[in-house]
Amino acid sequence: MVSFNSGGEAGKKMKISASFWWLYPSVFFLLALIFALTTSQYLAYLATSWAVFGLLAFSLDIIWGKGGDLSLGQTVFFGVGAYTYGIVAINLAPVLGNSLLLAVLFGGLSGVLVSGIIGYFIYYGRLGPLQTTIITYTMVLIMATVAISTSFELGSARVGGANGMTGIPPLTIDILGFNSLTRHGALVATLTIIFIVTLVVVAVLKKPFGLVIDGIRQDVLKTELLGYDVRKYRLALFTIAGCVAGVAGGLYSSWAAYVSPSIFAVTQALLIPIYVLVGGRGSLYGGFLGALFIGWLTFWLGGGVAGGQTTLILGAILILLVLFVPKGASGLINSIIGKTMRKTHAPINEESIAPDLEKLNYFLEEPEEKKVILETKGLNKKFGGVVATDNVNMSFYNKGIHCLIGPNGAGKSTYLNTCIGVIKPDSGYIVFKDEKIEKLEPCQRVQLGMGIKLQVAKVLEEKTVWDNLWLSSYSKIKNKEEANDIVMSVSDIIGLRHKLYVNAEELSHGEQQWLDIGMVLSLKPEIIFLDEPAAGMTKIERDRTVNILHILSKFVGVVVVEHDMDFIRALESPVTVLHQGAVFTSGSIEELRQNPEVLDIYLGRQKDA
Amino acid sequence: MKTSIKALTTAIAISSAVPGMLLAEDTVKIGALHDLTGSFNIYGIQQSEALKLAVKKVNEDGGVNGEKVEVIEYDTQSDDARYTQYANTLIIRDQVAAMFGGLASSSREAVRPVAHQNETIYFYSALYEGGVCDKYTFLTGVTPSQQLGVMLKWAKEEYGDKVYVVAPDYNFGTISAHWVNEYAEEYGLEVVGEDFLPVSQSDFSSTLQQIQTSEPDFVVALPVGSRQTSFYEQFSAAGLKDRIGIISTNYGSGNQQVVVSANAGEGIVASQNYFQVVDTESNSEFLEMWEAEYGEISDPIISEANDTWNAVMLWAEAANSAGSSESDAVIDQLLNGVELDSPEGKIKSLPSNHLMHQVYLVEGDSNHSFNVITKYEDVMPEYEQSVCNLLEDPSVSRQFSPGS
Amino acid sequence: MIKGENKKEQSMDFAQITFTGLTTLSSISILLIATLGLAVIFGMMGVINLAHGEFIMLGAFVTLFSTQAGVPFVLSLGLSFVALAIYGAVIEYIIIRHLYGRLFDTLLATWGIGLVMYQGAILLFGSYTSGIGLPAGTIGIGKYTMSSYFGILILVSVILTATVYLIFVKTKYGVMSRAAIQNPQMAGSIGIPTKKINTITFSFGSGLAGLAGGLLVPAFPATPDMGVAFVSKAFLAVVTAGPMIISGAVTTLIGVGGVSSISGIIFTSVIGDVVFFTITILILRFFPTGVSGGWHGKL
Repeated sequence: MVSFNSGGEAGKKMKISASFWWLYPSVFFLLALIFALTTSQYLAYLATSWAVFGLLAFSLDIIWGKGGDLSLGQTVFFGVGAYTYGIVAINLAPVLGNSLLLAVLFGGLSGVLVSGIIGYFIYYGRLGPLQTTIITYTMVLIMATVAISTSFELGSARVGGANGMTGIPPLTIDILGFNSLTRHGALVATLTIIFIVTLVVVAVLKKPFGLVIDGIRQDVLKTELLGYDVRKYRLALFTIAGCVAGVAGGLYSSWAAYVSPSIFAVTQALLIPIYVLVGGRGSLYGGFLGALFIGWLTFWLGGGVAGGQTTLILGAILILLVLFVPKGASGLINSIIGKTMRKTHAPINEESIAPDLEKLNYFLEEPEEKKVILETKGLNKKFGGVVATDNVNMSFYNKGIHCLIGPNGAGKSTYLNTCIGVIKPDSGYIVFKDEKIEKLEPCQRVQLGMGIKLQVAKVLEEKTVWDNLWLSSYSKIKNKEEANDIVMSVSDIIGLRHKLYVNAEELSHGEQQWLDIGMVLSLKPEIIFLDEPAAGMTKIERDRTVNILHILSKFVGVVVVEHDMDFIRALESPVTVLHQGAVFTSGSIEELRQNPEVLDIYLGRQKDA
Repeated sequence: MKTSIKALTTAIAISSAVPGMLLAEDTVKIGALHDLTGSFNIYGIQQSEALKLAVKKVNEDGGVNGEKVEVIEYDTQSDDARYTQYANTLIIRDQVAAMFGGLASSSREAVRPVAHQNETIYFYSALYEGGVCDKYTFLTGVTPSQQLGVMLKWAKEEYGDKVYVVAPDYNFGTISAHWVNEYAEEYGLEVVGEDFLPVSQSDFSSTLQQIQTSEPDFVVALPVGSRQTSFYEQFSAAGLKDRIGIISTNYGSGNQQVVVSANAGEGIVASQNYFQVVDTESNSEFLEMWEAEYGEISDPIISEANDTWNAVMLWAEAANSAGSSESDAVIDQLLNGVELDSPEGKIKSLPSNHLMHQVYLVEGDSNHSFNVITKYEDVMPEYEQSVCNLLEDPSVSRQFSPGS
Repeated sequence: MIKGENKKEQSMDFAQITFTGLTTLSSISILLIATLGLAVIFGMMGVINLAHGEFIMLGAFVTLFSTQAGVPFVLSLGLSFVALAIYGAVIEYIIIRHLYGRLFDTLLATWGIGLVMYQGAILLFGSYTSGIGLPAGTIGIGKYTMSSYFGILILVSVILTATVYLIFVKTKYGVMSRAAIQNPQMAGSIGIPTKKINTITFSFGSGLAGLAGGLLVPAFPATPDMGVAFVSKAFLAVVTAGPMIISGAVTTLIGVGGVSSISGIIFTSVIGDVVFFTITILILRFFPTGVSGGWHGKL
């Protein structure tokens, strides 16, 4: 068991909140139960629908607050779940007699199915956030149009087009001595199911899955470059959100006894983000708070004159929220808690502790013999009419440094991105450890042993140093204990052991660079690509970087793409010059300095070779 | 000022929007679910006004079984979910003896199971696609089997054999279209084409083209909602009214004749159980009462207002005859036939929970209003009567549609 | 089910084909008129105005009331443009400018604005109002006739689109606003008043929406929810358009709108709608940079 002997207080806090993840949901559930058991029949009836919409809002928070994607299509899964519950319940009620929990389960499954298909389409197509949102919005439009015109019979259940499906039986179970056919019983049953679902989701969202999702939300590319197949994770999260929405739909159906295509109306779909925003996006409990508040507000406005203006009031609330209270209720709560908890933050040390690269010897293994580990053969890439990579053949070794230089537009970035998999070549091969990898995704290449450090320090700013390192450590070994060990070792090496519980955004620029290097190290790669590592560094930082690259290159192959000539000279390594996408020449930096043609390229004097 | 503001002030003035908490002992409560806001509010407001006018008359005539009638009304905001919610509110919290209201068929279907589960009588007062058979739901509006039959027979004489159907693509439209086909076969008409429109459609150029390709003698048009109403405008502007007749079962039910320009509205033929221009003594009295209560009539009174008035009157009559406002007692009376004089003329309740109606055929004039062409007396809802007899089998609870 | 297939034999003749083309053009031009304002705002500012439908609706009411009060129709159109331009400038100043760069926040905020406008319109105008009707006159091809107003709309849509294109490509304002979009900091540092330009652009786009409403009012009755029918398709055309916003949107409308309209003629109008939405999803999936993604051009 690893001992947490640094950043003590904050560390303990983290540990406690990690083990007691079930505390918040349980407290809320208890409070809700007390309310349920002591309120009037009518309010119990109403509150059941608030709880159901809370669950629907929760499903949006999962994909939006946690995943970072605004899905306007949660009501698609909600509606499908509602219809599925209706069809199953109407047909099975005579057979099953009691308990239509199975129907609720089917509601969830239908949500999984539909969201699985849509999610696969979106995430395996590697679409951006705007396209994702619009596709979910378009799904709602399609469902709304189709549902009105579609009527059919499935067994004894009749889906009646615009007239919907009526006569849906309610849940029939006994909980805590209440039969769910009463209003109180229905509320208690609904709350219990919601509690269980919420608990399961919160459990799933702990480490490691939740941490990967957090990474994806903050920086998709970085998380992919740590070796995680982000498509799978995003699809999984989307499907979870779809399942929860489907379950909510089933519960809705059992409460309303009627479902119609109006459940797919665009106006309904856009209501759910309001719930989440009111309560606080990303908090997970925010959706419930928002649904509760809006439900209560509608109730308070009543069914008369004021109530008729609900739409207007909601619109105004939405505008005000977006402008002034973007973090919603949870944001307010957090800032209050934040003020009182200031003192448990680890003190920000002014003095840094120097990284101790000697410890690399204990962490990485020196390869036995020096051999070629990565080769590109005949690599070609065109963008429109521009040739970015022109028949490039290059080899890289499993130790030592290799530099890639060339003027702007020479194709260095394209070549680098092709090696790591962000770009797929038009033709040619890439062979890594005797395997052809040109068709592999970046995460797969990382899993095979590539490490990548891009120019901008891509660390996850909202997360602590610990979490950042843990994410990369866990990626290949998939073992929590070992990951903990790696974090401790690497944090020693990079000199951030004393700042393990500090948020990455509070580190200095240089420290962030070290953290980024540490993340790559913890993957124990066999070759590392560095894109302009000297950019933006002071002379001292540059010297330190040269130092670490020399030491690193004892253990792994190091490929550096750079501009800075002093830096390259200090590396004392073989250099390849790229020009107009093709290999121009190779040699040591001294040889190249004496080559007039190389100078010509840099000064733009080159006639076409 | 526009209808909405007027309705708001009326609602505040009449102040029955406040759910009753402390009530006098000697009242019987009825619940009202009306779309006072939202896209259907032109219907909902008039339904609400008609209901309250009827309640006032009932109370003036002595109330129900000696008790005054009190209305508890909720604004369902043209939203099905609210119908579910407030129907439950009326029953659980307000404990009403009867419920009234609903406009779109989906709103009725939201209330129907609640009424049935809780054994409370519910009156749905609007024209609709027909076929509902449920002991606790009573339908005072007219159905396609009452409107279309007489209208198609007349149209054949007037225009010719070939008919084209333009209907919204949901139950009301598809079922009505089905009835057109049925009656076409019966009367020797030929359906040369059908087009079903999505509810959101407002650009009818492709429909108009198809109509011209098929060369019908007349068109049966059933556009629903404000957007589809522009169909009449575009039909007329394309110059089609000169050579093709146009008839409808729902034109006028929502004051489309006010929206549609005078030119386009002229010559459109419609059939329903009530128009404001209907010439009966009861209607004159009804309109007088309306004006006395609400002031000069600026928006024509629609059939749904007549249907709602009739619903209240029927309920009161049945409750008084039964000596009780218990749902089962009232239903018993209704199933065995309650006859009344109403603004449309004579109406009678039937064992299918529908009404025998008077059906009027009218033609649009050049002034946003109608002239009555002819009146069909004592028209029975043939289809509903054939599939639904709640005296024989009161446990049925479904909506029949032809072909199911 | 297939329309018109019932009993009569359909033979495609020249008149029918030409008229079909005319009908399809008419549908596309209506969508195009409704989309221009949204395209300008999204393409030039990166702002998604989900209240666009309500802006159109407001413009429709302005034209409606002013025509009913006796103002000539064409002048009323101008009034709609100006009224909505002013309204747009106010909205930009109060709300939109605080949200630049926050795409999803503007989406949600403008959705809220739309809700308020919609409900406000119901309160002020009621759910229905009498229309002004279409002018008389028809275009005929063979046995087919169509209201001449739709023919006029086809012409108007072309003129409007060309005008917007020229404004943004040839005028000083246009060039400045395209610069401000491509590189706001650079533009600012060479003296382009980016804030003022943004207000003007949003105002211009809003004015176009108002004008669209006025143009559509003879054919489509002015009701608080009239914008809803156009907004979804306009929105989809604009987000699939790609970097060349005008060319891209026009292409999407002609291509996708055309296919959808023809499907609507052959099958049912519901299928036509579903075709539109499905093709849009496919474009988003397989051409993530948009329809005009690989094109070289100015707008």
